[in-house]
Amino acid sequence: MRGKVLPVMSLLAALSLLVSCGRGPTVTPAAGVTPPGTPLVSPATPAPDVLGVLPREETLIVAQLTGRVGTPDDFNEWVGWKWRDRGMQQLMNEPLWSVDFATGKIINGLAAGDPIYSEDFKKVTIPLRKGVAWSDGVPFTAADVVFTVETLIKHEGFNAHAFFAENVERVYAPDDYTVVFELKQPNSRFHTTFLDRWGSTWIMPKHIFEKVEDPVKFKFNPPVGTGPYKLHSYDPAGYWTVWERREDWDKSPTGILFGEPKPKYIVFQAFANEGAKILAQLTHQLDAVDLSAEGLKAALAQGRTNRAYQKTFPWVVNNDPCITGITFNTAKPPYDNPEVRWALLLAIDIVEYEAQAVDGMATLSPIHVPSLGPYIDYYIKPMQEWLKEFTLDLGNGETFKPYDPEAPRRLAEYAKSRGYAIPDDPAFISRAFGFGWYKYAPDVAEKLLIKNGFSRDAEGKWRLPDGKPWRIEVISRSDMSHLEFKNAAAAVQQWKKFGIDAVHVPSDNVSALTQNGEYDVSGNWPAFEPWGAGPDLYRVLDPFNSAYVRPIGQLTQGHTSRWSSPEMDDVIKRLRETDPTKTEQVVAIGLEGLKILVREMPGIPTFGYIGFISWDEHYWTNWPGAENPYTQPYTHWGPFKYMTPFLQPTGR
Amino acid sequence: MVFLRRYLIPRLIQYVLVIVFGVTVVFLIPRLAPTDPIASTIAQIRSQGSYLDPATVDQFIEDLTELYGLRGSLWEQYIALWMRLLRGDLGVSFFQFPTPVIVLIGRALPWTVGLLLTTTVLGWLIGNILGGLAGYFSRHKWSQALDILAMLIRPLPYYILALALLLLLGYVVRWFPIAGGTSIGMRPSWTWTFIWDVLRHSFLPALSLVILGGTLWFQTMKLVVQNVNAEDFVQYAKLGGVEEGKIVFRYVIRNALLPQVTGLGLALGQIFSGALITEIVFSYPGLGMLLYNAVITGDYNLIMGITLFSIVAITTAILIIDLVYPLFDPRVRYR
Repeated sequence: MRGKVLPVMSLLAALSLLVSCGRGPTVTPAAGVTPPGTPLVSPATPAPDVLGVLPREETLIVAQLTGRVGTPDDFNEWVGWKWRDRGMQQLMNEPLWSVDFATGKIINGLAAGDPIYSEDFKKVTIPLRKGVAWSDGVPFTAADVVFTVETLIKHEGFNAHAFFAENVERVYAPDDYTVVFELKQPNSRFHTTFLDRWGSTWIMPKHIFEKVEDPVKFKFNPPVGTGPYKLHSYDPAGYWTVWERREDWDKSPTGILFGEPKPKYIVFQAFANEGAKILAQLTHQLDAVDLSAEGLKAALAQGRTNRAYQKTFPWVVNNDPCITGITFNTAKPPYDNPEVRWALLLAIDIVEYEAQAVDGMATLSPIHVPSLGPYIDYYIKPMQEWLKEFTLDLGNGETFKPYDPEAPRRLAEYAKSRGYAIPDDPAFISRAFGFGWYKYAPDVAEKLLIKNGFSRDAEGKWRLPDGKPWRIEVISRSDMSHLEFKNAAAAVQQWKKFGIDAVHVPSDNVSALTQNGEYDVSGNWPAFEPWGAGPDLYRVLDPFNSAYVRPIGQLTQGHTSRWSSPEMDDVIKRLRETDPTKTEQVVAIGLEGLKILVREMPGIPTFGYIGFISWDEHYWTNWPGAENPYTQPYTHWGPFKYMTPFLQPTGR
Repeated sequence: MVFLRRYLIPRLIQYVLVIVFGVTVVFLIPRLAPTDPIASTIAQIRSQGSYLDPATVDQFIEDLTELYGLRGSLWEQYIALWMRLLRGDLGVSFFQFPTPVIVLIGRALPWTVGLLLTTTVLGWLIGNILGGLAGYFSRHKWSQALDILAMLIRPLPYYILALALLLLLGYVVRWFPIAGGTSIGMRPSWTWTFIWDVLRHSFLPALSLVILGGTLWFQTMKLVVQNVNAEDFVQYAKLGGVEEGKIVFRYVIRNALLPQVTGLGLALGQIFSGALITEIVFSYPGLGMLLYNAVITGDYNLIMGITLFSIVAITTAILIIDLVYPLFDPRVRYR
């Protein structure tokens, strides 16, 4: 026994010593003492070793979300997956339009204005911005757009080949700054392929690609783009990519719209573990990073110059356009029954659920879009009365109204009990915790299940209508910090408490399993994300189209719930026939779609996606935090480029 | 001639059969797993909410099936694999399409071989020398101190040891970088600056591997030496007045080295599987992460490429050990 205890105690002592030693150096800069090895340099001193050849005071370092680049020498982002968040989509490229979910705006990039559709949605005209040049100095014109689309149609190896081949009859440029698409069939959302919402169809430089024999195998290295930065260097092993501000940055839409980007160099660095990210940030070698909840708490606790998106509780980015929750495989019984799905929802105590998942930091949403700026006014507030009146039939003439507008207040009480300072201001509570969710009603859930033939055994465990024990396997990604994992784990606890044999099955293979329909319940988002700006819910509702449903075992085209209904098909059809810029009509149809989703509940919306951003203000300030959300806050989204002109160097 | 017929040829046949069997197993296992390379590619393209028009997904799946060479029955794919392998073509990576597998392996291999070859040999040398001496002089205080140190280090999970080194030498005293294979902005070149940069980045991963590997060799060697030391022929040599240095190196350590040489051969063969945890802790490039990502994304060609290297390396190591063993152990030669 002593032989085992001794090493463990030694280890604990050693780690305690390391941790306590580690706290000191991170906070000393303010005291005027330079921690040993800290890359703290005055403008006059040469670049520190840790940054190789780059001057730290002119360099912004951000963590790369998707990790080490597997194709470091390949910048042909039109083929396969090329780790485009290494700076390609943020700094090198300008899309035609970008979504900025923080401001709710669509930003014109290479486009000069909105797309103009013909009445039958078979023709769309796009005006292009003048004065833009590629990073090698060649002017950007409509010929580049025409060439891009024609090339994508010509070669099957491009990701967007199928889309353009099936949609575009003809593309042409009546002049240098106008491009016209004639479509094979009506498509009122055709232009969204060029709308950057964490990716889009980017434009190829014609003068480079037209000289290439096989554009699918072409590595496009060095790459040429219309964004404000150009490639400086990259790690052949894939751990970092460095971008340098273009001398002619004013020829990029970013420069034209917002002025000169401040960092001369921007580095995207990949880390293989979160501990290394935190250590890098505490030593001022990493300016912006997405962490887990636990990682953010550690970074804020130890770094004096660190800050989160919100300066106080709940700290997190809570205006992300994505709704998280639970998805049922509605192609498999008993999850093909909406009353069973509703019973499982009512067996959830959302306060306990969210406390377990994210310590009460996220904003609840009772519908299949998040409680995000534009969606609150378009959908969440207008649906309040309908939600309050929404009624479930429990059988025997008994009914139940499940909506609970007090759920956010209960969540706020939980947060207070954790010691966080929560104002009683209803506006704050709505913004931080949402406008409502559903009641915790296990008794009602029981009635719904009994109505559908379920029963409890002698130990109180639920049995299926055929008498077999009810076992729910909830699959999710295996990454414990991911909200899919956290939702799945929280749901399992709630359902266990309710008497169901629920188990959580984390898997690295979750994408294949869910897309092939080989699962019961998953932590997948219960609906596709909306664009993040504007009222159009086509992107949320269209994946529920019955035309996309495939048998189990085949990759689904639509949502992994495999749910559809003729009623929803009709909503989608009408949305397709509506001009996306006609807000009133789009919202009216969107509301119909959301009500159907609430009634049918193919997946349970729980809370909006929350991001755990940690910014180090040692070298750079004026980050777009909650007090000044001039743009979206992530460095992995495309509009990061529009943040760069506003960042301020500290002069250290 | 007898050596050829009875010893060499059976081993060469066994060598080829093991490789064929290994390739077949590696071909089958990923295909039997539920991992789907096309689903992984689509999921990654759709990551973070990127849009892929649902109406065109079917056609996209068709295109990817064609591009990845996944058409045809399992048997047809198996035959096509051997045709490719015999031409020296490992195919292209699905997930890092269209990068050839050989390029990906070639990119990661120098990091893995450089790190693991050095640390395996260093750990083996240090561990065996110290273990041999500590085993023979086991009553000395320095020997007992080394033994206690090894007992303290050995039970540590590698991850904790590596993390402790990272915290201590990378964060607290900040002598070494905390992540990566090179500094940011450093361009590869045969210059002293670049080599020094690579060595600095490799130091912590190497130290962690040498400490743990060396401790293992130390403990096994010490035990073997203690056993050999108790053998009659050693006692006889001592009683016969043979010089102690001669007893230590010619009688004891030479005999004790036999299983250690076998172990070294196998350890060298396993280098080609990479060192996943080392790569994760130190964000160090190498084959481990490449193989891990290939497995979780169902990148059949890449899995095949890396494991082929590993199978060939290990079977070759075993073959070489078999062939050179008679040089170390006369008993094998006499048989």
